Amino acid sequence: MAINRDKVIKDMSKIQVKGNSEGLIPAFGVMVNQMPAGFWNGFSNRIMSAAGDDLQDAAEGLLENAAAECGYHTGYGIITSEEFNSVVGPMISEESQAEDVLHGAYGVFTAWGWAKSEIVELIPGEKMVVRAYDYYEADSPSTKGNCSYMIKGVSRAFMDLAYSKTYPDGHGKYKCEQTKGIENGDAYGEFVVTIDDE
Amino acid sequence: MSSNTNTVCHSSSSSQVEFQPERSFDDQKMRHYLEGQVSVLHCHHYATLFTQLACDAESMDGIRHLTEATTEALQPVLSGYYKKNAVNDISDRISIAEQYWSFIGMGQVKLEFEDKTGHASMSHSHIDEGWIKKWGQRKEPVNFVGQGYIKAAWAAIFDNDPAGCRVTEDKSIVCGDSSSEFTVNW
Repeated sequence: MAINRDKVIKDMSKIQVKGNSEGLIPAFGVMVNQMPAGFWNGFSNRIMSAAGDDLQDAAEGLLENAAAECGYHTGYGIITSEEFNSVVGPMISEESQAEDVLHGAYGVFTAWGWAKSEIVELIPGEKMVVRAYDYYEADSPSTKGNCSYMIKGVSRAFMDLAYSKTYPDGHGKYKCEQTKGIENGDAYGEFVVTIDDE
Repeated sequence: MSSNTNTVCHSSSSSQVEFQPERSFDDQKMRHYLEGQVSVLHCHHYATLFTQLACDAESMDGIRHLTEATTEALQPVLSGYYKKNAVNDISDRISIAEQYWSFIGMGQVKLEFEDKTGHASMSHSHIDEGWIKKWGQRKEPVNFVGQGYIKAAWAAIFDNDPAGCRVTEDKSIVCGDSSSEFTVNW
């Protein structure tokens, strides 16, 4: 692998943002915010509790989809950004461009505090396995099994960006299953992305 | 908001205080902290889809959950900041609350409080402008996160329980108004 993950994390974690004169943060082709993680967890937990057993699947799907759209659009903005190109760009080889971009994207995903995560298995275009060793979604002990909807959504979105149709037409080719979760007592979270045949 | 001779109006107009963010990065856990809270960058897609989910989850009281989740997450940030930095003057507290909201990219808010009512005005809003960018204008307000923050600010500024505060959005950027206007009652 050509990607120097430690360097990506070290360099990208130094990037700090703050609101402009309008209190907004336009960056990476979107507007970003830096709300506390407790807000995102708080709403997810509340809505999952309110959903009950009958609506649990629907609520999970909506939470994951919110992250997938976030991951697809913001992910595209990140991997085409000046910052990404200056740090990760020189590490990308022509022969494994999509794979290198994916590994670089998880370096950024880690550096920006979404999840301390890495790809542990990658079959180009077919399958990706991601492990997350620390992530904010695990801060709230789960009563409903694995519940890292953000990582699930973003992981399948990253596969869309790497192997589906050219942005913005490639969203939704992949699905993601969470097979392990810190929030569920496992040592790490594990996320398996494959082609969505449904 | 008008005031008469018997009513004290609190705002940030007399304050010179400047928000001094405390940021850190834990390079073992790979987590960013802002004012002692784990902080993450998320985009307007995520924020507006959470808002849309709250609207759709009417049978689950989704809007109340979104508003309360905001208040629960942000009131401790402001209260902690006031305590740590000995911010005791009401005008200064209001100013910090306004500056923090802008710092985290949620927009621009001005807060005013009288004895029993208050007013908040947002000239820019991450939620509203993000919603318009994603889906266009909407007939109904969508800034439930903003409402939750105004409650959080009121509770932190006056050391009150947020449950005693009601916030209504009277005008809204997402509806085509030039600013979002909120009424606060307690």
